[in-house]
Amino acid sequence: MADESNQLRVRFVTPERVLFESTVAAVELPGRSGALEVLYGHAPLLTELGAGDVRLHGAPDGDAIYNVSWGFAEVLPERVTILANDALKPGEIDVNRANEQLARGNKLWSEAGDSEAAYDKALTVIAEAEAKLATAAEKH
Amino acid sequence: MANVLDLRRRIRSVKNTRQITKAMKMVSAAKLRRAQERAMSARPYAKMIASVLESLTRRIDIFDETTGNLRHPLFATRPEKRVLLVVVSGDKGFAGAFNANILKAAFHFIDGSEAGKEIDIEAVGRKSRDTMRRRFPAAEYSEATDEAPSVRGPRKSRVELTGDHPGMLLKLETSRVYELAGNIIDRYEREEIDAAYIVYNEFKSVIQQRVVVEKILPLVKIGGQEIAASTEQSAEELARAGQAAATAGVSLEEADTREADEEARKFGTANVDYIYEQPPAQLFDALLPQYISSKLFHAMTESVAAEHAARMTAMDSATNNASDMIDSLTLHMNRVRQAAITKEIIEIVSGAAAL
Repeated sequence: MADESNQLRVRFVTPERVLFESTVAAVELPGRSGALEVLYGHAPLLTELGAGDVRLHGAPDGDAIYNVSWGFAEVLPERVTILANDALKPGEIDVNRANEQLARGNKLWSEAGDSEAAYDKALTVIAEAEAKLATAAEKH
Repeated sequence: MANVLDLRRRIRSVKNTRQITKAMKMVSAAKLRRAQERAMSARPYAKMIASVLESLTRRIDIFDETTGNLRHPLFATRPEKRVLLVVVSGDKGFAGAFNANILKAAFHFIDGSEAGKEIDIEAVGRKSRDTMRRRFPAAEYSEATDEAPSVRGPRKSRVELTGDHPGMLLKLETSRVYELAGNIIDRYEREEIDAAYIVYNEFKSVIQQRVVVEKILPLVKIGGQEIAASTEQSAEELARAGQAAATAGVSLEEADTREADEEARKFGTANVDYIYEQPPAQLFDALLPQYISSKLFHAMTESVAAEHAARMTAMDSATNNASDMIDSLTLHMNRVRQAAITKEIIEIVSGAAAL
C-alpha cells in the first residue's frame, strides 16, 4: 500500500532502548558484506550489520547519522528495523578511545599467530575502531 | 529509671534515624522506577532477537538429521561435569534479605549438586563477590605470554571463583555485560564448561518476584526460560513490599507491554521470502551469542530493579519500626514525667500534713 510520499518507517533499536522511530525517505545500512541503501519498496531482506554508519535521509527532523557496530537489520517494502549492538552519534564518539581501540586491535593482529579465531577477533576490533574514527573524522 | 531528659534525647535520635530511612526509601523508589523503565525499554531488542532466531530455525535447515538436534555448538548438550554459575547479587547492603536470599539460592545449588561436579563461579555485584571470595579459592591462571595464551592452573577445590564483576550493576552497560556473555560462550565452546546457570532475582513487579536459578547454556528452546530452581517470596514479604510501594507511589501493576511485544514479535517473521544477505547459517551463528547476551542483560536489569525494590521495602519497614519506637518511647517518657510530678505533689502534700 503505497502512500503519496513513499516513506519508509524506520525503527532503530539497541539493547538498551528504542533509539529512533520515524519515517524517512531512505536508509543507508552498513551490511556485513557491503553497504546498502534502502528505499521504499525494497524487497524483503535480512542482513547482518558490520561496523559503520547508519544514515537516515529525509527524516522529519533532518538527516541523522549513527555509528553502529554489529547487529541485524530487517527490510520490508515499507518498513526497516535495525537492531544494533551499539549506536553512537558522531558527536558522542571518543576519538582517543577509538584510537586506543585501534592500537589494541593492531596489537591483537600482530600477536594472533596461527589462530584463526584470534585474527577474526582482531579484525572485528580494528573494523569497529576504524569505523568510529571515519565517522568522527567526517564530522569535523 | 531513665529520666525525662535521657528519654527525650533518645526520641530525638530515633527521629533522625527515621528521617534517614525515609529519605533512603524515597531514593530507592525513584531508582526503582528508573530501573523498571530501563528494563522496559530493553525489552524490544530482546524480543526481536528471539523472534528472528525462532523464525530462522523454522526456515532453514540447521537440524542434524540423525539426532534431530540443532547443529550449533551452543545447542550441544554434554553430561554436566563442569558447571558455571553466575551469581547476580546487589552491590550495596541495606536491602533486607535481598542479597542473603540470592546467596542462599546459590549455595543451595552448589551444595545440592552431585559430589563429582566441578563448579566455577562468576560473581556479579560486590556482595556476591565478597561472600564467594571468602568461601572459595580463586582460580589461578598462568600469565599469558607471546607464545602461549593464559592457561588455567590446577584446581584447588571443587568450587572455584573464576571472575568477579563488582560495580557492573551500578552502571549497567551493555558492552560489559556482552563481554561477560562472550567470555561464557567461549568457555562453553571450548568445552571448559558443560553448562551455565545464572542465579538472580526475577522481577516482574514489586509484588511479583522470585529468586531463580536459570539455565542459560546449553540452549534448549528459543524464547523460553529453563528454570532449574526457584524460591518464591512469602506472602507476608510480598504484602509488605506492596505496602511500601503504595506509600512510595510506585505502581504495583506489571506495565502493559503486550502491544510492544506484539510489534517486536514481527521482527524477521513476516510471511514473505526474505533475501538473506548472508547465508542463513551464518546469520544464525551471529544471532545466537546475541541472544545469550541479551538474556544475561535482561537478568541483570531485573536484578537491579529487584534490589531497589528490596531496599525500598526494607527502608519502609525501618521507618515504620522507628515510628513505633518513637510512640512507645513518648508514652514511656510521659509516664516517667507524670510519675515525677505525682511524687513531688505527694512530697509537698505530706510535708504540709506534717506541719
